[in-house]
Amino acid sequence: MAKTILIVDDSDSIREVVRFTLENEGYNVLVGVDGKDALKHLNGQTIDLVITDLHMPEMDGIELIKHIRAMPDYERIPILFLTTESQTAKKMEAKDAGATGWIIKPFVPAKLLSAITKVIR
Amino acid sequence: MDSFKKKFVEEAGELIDKLEVSLLELEKNPEDASLIQQVFRIMHTLKGNSAMFGFDLIDSFTHNLETIYDQVRNGQLQISPEILNVTLASVDHLKLMLDEQNYNDPDFKTVYNGLLSKINAIINPSQPDSIKVAKESQQPEGQISTYYILFEPNQDIFKNGTNPIYLLDELCSLGEYKVFCHFNRVPEITEIKPELCYTYWEVLLATSQDVNSIQDVFIFVETESKLEIQKLAELNLLSDNAFVEEVSHLAEVQKDVGLVTVQRIATKAAARLNKAKAEQFTKERMAVKDKSASSIRVSSDKLDHLMNLVSELVTTQARLSLFAEQTNVPGLAPIVENVQKLTRQLRDIAFSIVLIPIENLFGRFQRLVRDLSAELHKEVDFIIEGADTELDKTIIENLSDPLMHIIRNSMDHGIEDARVRLANGKPAKGKIHLKAFYSGANVIIQVTDDGAGIDPEFIREKAISKGLIPPDRKMSRKEILDLIFLPGFSTAKKVTDVSGRGVGMDVVKKKISDIRGEVEVESEVGQGTTITIKLPLTLSIIDGLLVSIDNSPFVIPLSSIDKIYAIEKESIYNTYNNLVALDGAQVPFFSLRKEFNLKPSDEELEQIVVVNFEDNRVGLVVDHVIGEYQAVLKPMGKHYKNHDIFSGATILGDGTVALVMDTNKIIKMFANIKAVK
Repeated sequence: MAKTILIVDDSDSIREVVRFTLENEGYNVLVGVDGKDALKHLNGQTIDLVITDLHMPEMDGIELIKHIRAMPDYERIPILFLTTESQTAKKMEAKDAGATGWIIKPFVPAKLLSAITKVIR
Repeated sequence: MDSFKKKFVEEAGELIDKLEVSLLELEKNPEDASLIQQVFRIMHTLKGNSAMFGFDLIDSFTHNLETIYDQVRNGQLQISPEILNVTLASVDHLKLMLDEQNYNDPDFKTVYNGLLSKINAIINPSQPDSIKVAKESQQPEGQISTYYILFEPNQDIFKNGTNPIYLLDELCSLGEYKVFCHFNRVPEITEIKPELCYTYWEVLLATSQDVNSIQDVFIFVETESKLEIQKLAELNLLSDNAFVEEVSHLAEVQKDVGLVTVQRIATKAAARLNKAKAEQFTKERMAVKDKSASSIRVSSDKLDHLMNLVSELVTTQARLSLFAEQTNVPGLAPIVENVQKLTRQLRDIAFSIVLIPIENLFGRFQRLVRDLSAELHKEVDFIIEGADTELDKTIIENLSDPLMHIIRNSMDHGIEDARVRLANGKPAKGKIHLKAFYSGANVIIQVTDDGAGIDPEFIREKAISKGLIPPDRKMSRKEILDLIFLPGFSTAKKVTDVSGRGVGMDVVKKKISDIRGEVEVESEVGQGTTITIKLPLTLSIIDGLLVSIDNSPFVIPLSSIDKIYAIEKESIYNTYNNLVALDGAQVPFFSLRKEFNLKPSDEELEQIVVVNFEDNRVGLVVDHVIGEYQAVLKPMGKHYKNHDIFSGATILGDGTVALVMDTNKIIKMFANIKAVK
């Protein structure tokens, strides 16, 4: 069965590129425009991976990661975050919140997919 | 990737518009931390996206801009008019940067450098900063080497959603491999905690990749595991069977082989192999598929055609439904229902292709008003309403210029100077209201100001003096006001930079009628002016409720309907105040039979359709409610053009014509008649 990936990003173009790339690879894609919006998808349905931006209005990525980790249904699903900042501080903050890994923007589709294959198959 | 670029440009345009709005807000509340955060965030997104789509210039430019707001955010800088001016100028320039054709323009570069140095002066007052550009390091094309890798994840590795198997798989995809999996730390079955990871791995990997790419595999878990990576030899040791067998044997008998032992065995094997010298190097490269575009451009002719076909389909489908009902052939009903469902979906998709919200267009005027208010020294509150109203994309594009003209006129001629306003007992700050809303099958856009208004007498004199009308012509007030739409008519006493060259309103009128719209002006001297643009919904298929009054069918747009009740005839005809109690609230109502001058119905029960009218609920009494109906709106003939209580007509499945009501207009008209009586 196709894996379901939830993308959370407030940028339309990033969402589109990610969604398109993933759908091309045969993944099911759900989208949220920010953390708060993303929560509506976390309703018990099977989600195999979450890819989230860190900077977002309403609820930012770190907050979202913490939220997901607190939900029994999703406490162990892989979470990748997108970041332009390659600084360790932000990365560590997200990792401490429970993220599985990260993708550094800007990225090309191949890079995105290779990061995904690190965490789901 | 090219269409993504277009998408990016479109989105970046929106981001820049949003940035502009936020900056203007920030100008009003320089201390607002959430606004500063918002500005920073937009810049950040812009930077990230532009880098992704190859707009390096925007990337580095916004990077510097962003730095300013980062410093503001951290309290190192204060928002000052200087910062805002530079930022706004930069925002203007960013718009130019979105079009790569501008890059060759020599002025472009000058402005770019000028802004950049200004920005740098703000960030770093003492010395100019340089832009850093990251260079990607080149991968050396190496020969195959063999590595020993020990991967020992922490026991709680699963907690972050990591699955070590995938990492091993990825590692193995780098080249030829031999994996040794060690279970010796797995406790007795009664002791096992399923959420912990007890396994660890040793891997022999022969790959042409360098040690960095091996480390990259484990990049996410570096801090959560023990990792040893060691190059054993610059050879493919895995091609040596003796070596593999020896290590495998050790791995079975011992707990783990360990780096030292492997190295010892490897040295021997390498020596053997070097002697043999029969090695072929293979390279594996992951082929990266090129992705094609996600969106395409379609000519608007084709879209129009699509919409026409869809509306034909809707009409035909209505006929089919009726036919199925009348013939009652078993098995036909489900098919017809399916066709109906598909038609509806098709229609919705066709709509969503063509319609966009008017929001972006309206946002642009914020800036216009701000700039004008500075230029004309008039303070103005600019209020936007109904920005989520959806319109055809081409219509929105064509609205930009006329609306800009109208707003300029309001700013320039409408709103008076603060002194004059105070003298006339108005607040010093003027008000311009931009509003969009649906009315029946039309979209109405209104610009209202609370300025001086237009004096009909003045217009008349002016028109006579310009020879536009004969001096003895008798004209209604409305006719006189409409004179401002004549070519060559400019009412401003002096020509200003902003408006008043006499090419204003006639151009507006022409442009609006080009998109099949109408413009009207209403004005009260001393009170203000309202310019109303009425645009037809290009997509003339609406969801409606089919009702009947005296056996004639009518359609009420579903979007305006709140609720439907059955009501006894008695309570409608024997009433003095036209109010009826529904759900515990009093609702004013109109009996359409009565208003259409028809005889009262013979039936005991009638239906009252409660619709939303402005902020109230108003009931319309009809004979029967037949059901939901997708109505394809057709314009009515010339003779009925003035009956604007109907927005059009639609053809029902059996060929009958049903009029489509514009509930707003109907209620307004009947309410007025009541008031006159």
